[in-house]
Amino acid sequence: MGYGYAGKILRLNLSNRSVSTIDTAQYEEWVGGHGLGSAIFWDLCQDKTVSGFDPRNVITIMAGPMAGTLAPGSTRCEMQGIGPQGYPIEWFTRSSFGGRFAPQLKYAGWDGVVIEGKADAPVWINVINDHVTIEDARGLWGLGTRKTQEEIWARVTGNRLNDWQAVGDAYTTQKPAVLCIGQAGEHLSRIATVMHDGGFAAGQGGFGGAWGAKNLKAISVRGTGGIKVADSKALIDTWLWHKTNFQFNVDNPRNEAPIVNFTDYWIINQSPGAVPIAPIWEPCRPKGCQGCPVACSRRMASGLANEAHCFTTNWPYLGIIPPGTQPTWMTPGEWAGGLAEPTDIHGLAKARYRTTDLLNDYGINVYDVFFADVYFYILFLMDAIGPGKAINCDLPFDKWGTEEYKAAYLKMIAYREGVGDDLAEGLERAAERWGRRKDDLESGLLPYPHWGYSEHNDPRAGVDQEYATILGDRDSNDHSFDLPTHGIPRVASISKTEPVISAERLVGILSQKVLPLQGDPLMFDYSDAGLYSASRAKTIAWGRRYARFWKDSVGYCDLLWPNFFNANAPDFSGYTPEGEARFFNAVTGKNISFVDGMEIGRRTWNLDRAVWVLQGRHRDMEVFAPYVYQVPSTRINHFPVYENGQWRYANVAGRALDKDRFEEWKAKYYELEGWDKITGWPTRSTLEPLGLGKVADELQRRGKLGG
Amino acid sequence: MAEVGTAEKRPFTAPLSEGYLVVDRKKCSGCISCMLACSLVHEGKTDLSLSRIQIVQNPWGCFPEDIALAICRQCVNPKCVEACPTEALHVDAANGNTRTVDGSLCDGCQVCIDACPYKPSRMIWHHEKGVAVKCDLCGRAPHWIEKGGPKGKQACVEICPMRAIKLVKEAPEQEGDAGYEVNLRNEHWGWLGFPTD
Repeated sequence: MGYGYAGKILRLNLSNRSVSTIDTAQYEEWVGGHGLGSAIFWDLCQDKTVSGFDPRNVITIMAGPMAGTLAPGSTRCEMQGIGPQGYPIEWFTRSSFGGRFAPQLKYAGWDGVVIEGKADAPVWINVINDHVTIEDARGLWGLGTRKTQEEIWARVTGNRLNDWQAVGDAYTTQKPAVLCIGQAGEHLSRIATVMHDGGFAAGQGGFGGAWGAKNLKAISVRGTGGIKVADSKALIDTWLWHKTNFQFNVDNPRNEAPIVNFTDYWIINQSPGAVPIAPIWEPCRPKGCQGCPVACSRRMASGLANEAHCFTTNWPYLGIIPPGTQPTWMTPGEWAGGLAEPTDIHGLAKARYRTTDLLNDYGINVYDVFFADVYFYILFLMDAIGPGKAINCDLPFDKWGTEEYKAAYLKMIAYREGVGDDLAEGLERAAERWGRRKDDLESGLLPYPHWGYSEHNDPRAGVDQEYATILGDRDSNDHSFDLPTHGIPRVASISKTEPVISAERLVGILSQKVLPLQGDPLMFDYSDAGLYSASRAKTIAWGRRYARFWKDSVGYCDLLWPNFFNANAPDFSGYTPEGEARFFNAVTGKNISFVDGMEIGRRTWNLDRAVWVLQGRHRDMEVFAPYVYQVPSTRINHFPVYENGQWRYANVAGRALDKDRFEEWKAKYYELEGWDKITGWPTRSTLEPLGLGKVADELQRRGKLGG
Repeated sequence: MAEVGTAEKRPFTAPLSEGYLVVDRKKCSGCISCMLACSLVHEGKTDLSLSRIQIVQNPWGCFPEDIALAICRQCVNPKCVEACPTEALHVDAANGNTRTVDGSLCDGCQVCIDACPYKPSRMIWHHEKGVAVKCDLCGRAPHWIEKGGPKGKQACVEICPMRAIKLVKEAPEQEGDAGYEVNLRNEHWGWLGFPTD
């Protein structure tokens, strides 16, 4: 195998406790990460219609060729398999995480791990270079994710931390990288995460529960090898090109926030330490994943909420001002003001961060518990939940929003106590148990537009994430387009400043960079007409192809890639599409173009589509929850719109999707992808030129090949 | 004065290095790009075990103690050079007096690794070649186009996205860590909300 690769993949069958090897070269055409995982899943998962909890489910954990080398934001690790979180079908799905697991895995000599079967008792996997053992995890079962990792560090290193430690003939100062589940995964929660270090999580998909079903507590990797790169001179040179032209200069920034400690401004200038989103309340540092120049998370003086970010640090700030009114986001300062007695702001911030740590220690997916938290509060106001109520629950609703309440709430989910047993199924399934699902999806009280996953953005506003999700498997969590198109006007609105770039100029940059579909600004028109256009079909197709290759397979992080708009560049023009292939080729020695990568992404997207079709996917299912079509959005959301011959940022609140027009749009999208417009199934004429003839054969055998 | 009949051990002295790396522990983001770059320019691959700079971290540690930056201090009185029995470890006059290993003379005894007074040792064991290696301020980095050494560039300094590593010409205070752990943050760091003290 060539530059950028370790050369082999670790294959574990937990049922018979066998360890074997797959030659990475067998799957080289898929490049890495997601592509590898999809291809291996296709080959090894014999019945793709089983539950995510079934021993026959195959879970893959794949690094990309860039992981462990020196390319900005390139250490994402991709987990795939049948995800228990999906509803009504547990779709074959994915989840990725950062940190340093993928690099350590490769330094140990492995490009990925495949997990099959189910152990007859709890196990953990100890990988030290080529030496792989399946260890007894009964002593770890029941521990949270932090204690689990610390215990494994102690066992692997003999408690010799912070100094050189001998590993065979070599030495290392680095701790083993551990991936593990907490109590939620052990209790087969469908909203359980797999955690690594302080706050890196494979969240959406429910893989924590899938691990629990396999009796798999943890995988620890430690490597003392290296990754050879094809052209180290070119790689360093490309990094310096990136640093000089596009990275935020912490000593002398080209573009600085208009307000001190204004962390939302990272959307504009990619400044460090900002993705916990909440302002900085105590001394801390920005903390980056291995090889990342942006360093989006933090480590705190208190040590609380270290490495956690985004929703995991934000959800604990959800509270009520004053008690009894609607839920709202709150800064610690607002919290102090909303309380009857003077309170220490920093103490409140710490209380919130303790909640973040508890969430990650149990290994629970914040997205679902956030929406369930709000849902519960509204049901409480409706007198529908409480002791002896329709939903019998003894949570202290008079303390809703407090650390005490959230601790009780998380515990009941982690251990499946009381209604926590329902919530551990994911909120949509829980609502089904309570007989509320249908009505609440009609009204929008249950904001779950697709596949058992909550909204990421409002599906009636920016639409790109939600369109991608309904055509896929899970909350797409893809910020390619919404960071610039929505983030720029949003930041301007918060800071009461003019947007740093006009809508027309922004759309111009975007439309130039979306190779090979460049030259159509209407791809970024979020007016009513723009939601159903042929141009929108191109937007979604481009996003899926890019994500499937450059992000999910190569391993580039969603926050850094693609980079259309860049406030650190004098002309605001980011490093996409040049950067992707420059770094990739320097590492691998291949000579692919940006568009070559997009084509591999299209191929991978089609293979995934084929798996979903085998699982039961049909175009008739690709329909949002009723509220998306029936209830106009009330949230303020600014996006570029093209109306009356002019571009501007406009608030698109007040609209719902038009169901008929969305159905017509789907036909445009299927046509663009070369899928059957009646069924949504891929056709042979699409699959064969992609080298997926055997996939077409399998679909045909099952009577599911598009015509 | 030494007693008659006993050998007086004179302090080991060496010409001063013409360059020293200093770091800002509070500015480092723990991305270890410096380790990747160091091994890349010296070895042609990214290999944390062979990086001449070592960053040790605890994900749950309390700032700023969660990170330790282990850089070679190019000591005024280099114990590694003093301890080397084969003179492989020497003061490299051709490279600004950096304390350097001549691999052809190193017999792999690892005495220098133990002699380094700092933990983790700044002497690196090259397990593939069976020799010790150390920071040469990139004076002899074969996989880089730039001229290194005290008069040139250092990969870790150039790569660091937080600009938390710097080359200085004057020998820092040798006692304790204060000479090597410096404050490289300015008002822009404070504007982001991070501490500047």
